[in-house]
Amino acid sequence: MRCGFCGYEFREEEGNQGCSSCPMSSGCKMIKCPRCNYENPPEPKMIKTVKKLFRRGGTPK
Amino acid sequence: MSIFKKKASCHETVSVAASGARKVALVGNPNVGKSVLFNALTGAYVTVSNYPGTSVEVARGNAVIDGVQYEVIDTPGMYSILPITEEERVAREILLNERPHLVIHVLDARNLERMLPMTLQLIEAELPLVLVVNIMDEAARLGLEIDIPELSRRLGIPVIGAATAKKVGLSEIRAAIASVHPVTAPVPRYAPELEEDLAEITELLRGEYILSRKAMALLLLQGDTEVAELVAKLEGDRYGTLEACVREKRFKRRDSFHLDLSLERKAIVQKVLDGTFRVPAVRPVTWSERLSRLTLRPITGVPLLIVVLYYGLYKFVGEFGAGTLVDLLEGKVFEEWFNPWITGVVNNLIPWEIIRELFVGEYGVITLGMRYAVGIILPIVATFFLFFSMLEDSGYFPRLALLVDRIFKKVGLTGRAVIPMVLGFGCDTMATMVTRTLETVRERVIATLLLALAIPCSAQLGVILALLSKAPGALAVWLGCLLLIFLLVGLLAARVLPGETPMFYMELPPMRLPQWSNVLTKTVSRMQWYFMEILPLFIVASVLLWLGKITHFFEKMVDAMTPVMGALGLPKETAVSFIFGFFRRDYGAAGLYDLQTKGILNPRQLTVAAVTLTLFIPCVAQFLIMKKERGWKVSLSIGLFVSTFAFGSGWVLNQVLLATGIL
Repeated sequence: MRCGFCGYEFREEEGNQGCSSCPMSSGCKMIKCPRCNYENPPEPKMIKTVKKLFRRGGTPK
Repeated sequence: MSIFKKKASCHETVSVAASGARKVALVGNPNVGKSVLFNALTGAYVTVSNYPGTSVEVARGNAVIDGVQYEVIDTPGMYSILPITEEERVAREILLNERPHLVIHVLDARNLERMLPMTLQLIEAELPLVLVVNIMDEAARLGLEIDIPELSRRLGIPVIGAATAKKVGLSEIRAAIASVHPVTAPVPRYAPELEEDLAEITELLRGEYILSRKAMALLLLQGDTEVAELVAKLEGDRYGTLEACVREKRFKRRDSFHLDLSLERKAIVQKVLDGTFRVPAVRPVTWSERLSRLTLRPITGVPLLIVVLYYGLYKFVGEFGAGTLVDLLEGKVFEEWFNPWITGVVNNLIPWEIIRELFVGEYGVITLGMRYAVGIILPIVATFFLFFSMLEDSGYFPRLALLVDRIFKKVGLTGRAVIPMVLGFGCDTMATMVTRTLETVRERVIATLLLALAIPCSAQLGVILALLSKAPGALAVWLGCLLLIFLLVGLLAARVLPGETPMFYMELPPMRLPQWSNVLTKTVSRMQWYFMEILPLFIVASVLLWLGKITHFFEKMVDAMTPVMGALGLPKETAVSFIFGFFRRDYGAAGLYDLQTKGILNPRQLTVAAVTLTLFIPCVAQFLIMKKERGWKVSLSIGLFVSTFAFGSGWVLNQVLLATGIL
């Protein structure tokens, strides 16, 4: 994913998700950019699934 | 003399994954689009795990091309085969241990000259290689011309021009993976003296290596300890003679071997690029660069900011979101259809008045909580998030940060604090957490204070703008008040708290047209997150308000606040919005919206209420995080100061508006 603030490209897993101290952490799934700490929303599961379906369909056999 | 020499051998032994799939490794510098290509090739079945014995994560995914299954490995960013960082070491380990069927070197077309030396190293290592010159679209925009077929001919490997983010070149990359690649690339030739030295070392290498002997010899000469250990293991007794030879050559080149080698590679790259890569005599200034400059200069940046705010917030969020959409959803769907229907259903089902009140009464969970959350807040935050995501994706925010940074510095504030301030317009709670990235305690305290006081969160901002867009002039007064208070309090805090202002530096990403898919994804995600968070809170708040009503505690609170409201020139009913505001900032703002719809507030009262409510105490979540980050003493002081200051400012504003008669 690309950080909405600084434009840095990183994988969701790379994002610093160490927000356990935050009282909202249970409901919040924001992903922090490793470079500038900006919080980016993750891609909703539903959209990921739809994209994957299209990708799989688009891959030449 | 040719800079390349045809090599004799090729790699035929390739490794296969446990599943039997052939391996394809994506290598290259960080931020060249490897992950985008990886996602495009694999899509599903991606696993991310730490590389054994390290903390570096490696993503693996499957791709089926022409009926053949491949395991695609997204290696960490690397600049050279000679590793310096742990990431580079892992990337090379993958090349060495996993014997990929194909190595795809992805590079940035805009930085071809800087990145091609690594291609030379990969060719030299005799790895089965395909070069992907990525981000060709941006390069074309900059006027850079790259003759891909000629580049491919000179390097002796398949070269594909691509823009993976826009899905350009993906079919060619898939075709390159599917086709068989005998390795016939000519190996780069260095200066005769270095070639002689390398020949002497390679003569002594007898073991079987994945990288070519020339590449191994060069790595030994560069003092790569891991390669030396591997060679020592494979050469056994012969290693002594080899080590002595390498030591002698290293001593001879001790002064500037790394520099000489990189200059030699640079010279080879320049010869390869001569005629294949053309830079325009006068570099064209793209519209995005022009716009970028305009956003950064105060003389053009401030009017541009006003235009963005006017059309984005006032017209789109205020008029369309809060006007058209809320009228439709709250006015028509809830007031005219849903609420009368559900009230009838509940009245028929529940005989007890007090329980009916809980669901469909004045502060009922459905008739108030749901109506506020779905009918008022949701359309406003949806339009706000849409606008916010578009701005975010265009690359405007870092420019705004730099633009505002200048003003911040003039009033004695730190520029670095711009980042949490900008983030605060999304969510103040999260932004308060981000203040921990600021360098000094002084900065953190000032930023926390300003976030609690003068930065409205997205939902509150949306509702307030929606309110004020219906009263001409009120928006300007509200904005002016907040700006003034922000600067005044910031300046005073910076003067009161001791310490120095550190430097602020930020790398600017290019400005670009937002991609609709990205914008929609972000908007949906934010709305999902927001809705999941607010709906339970609105329901809890409704229950508490209902409890307050049946115990008459709520009336007492309203009565207690009536003199304060009177001092602010506001009607008694406004107290309810402030009580709502204790639960959530936007709940309070939605309460004001309700009062305005009923015609209870005139423009002056609306402005005073909006300013006071914006400055008013932070929501519960923000207060908790303030306590966590700054401790009880600071957070309580901030909470007390903010509340007193909010009502004080409201009183002053009311007096000024009454005296001047502006509104």
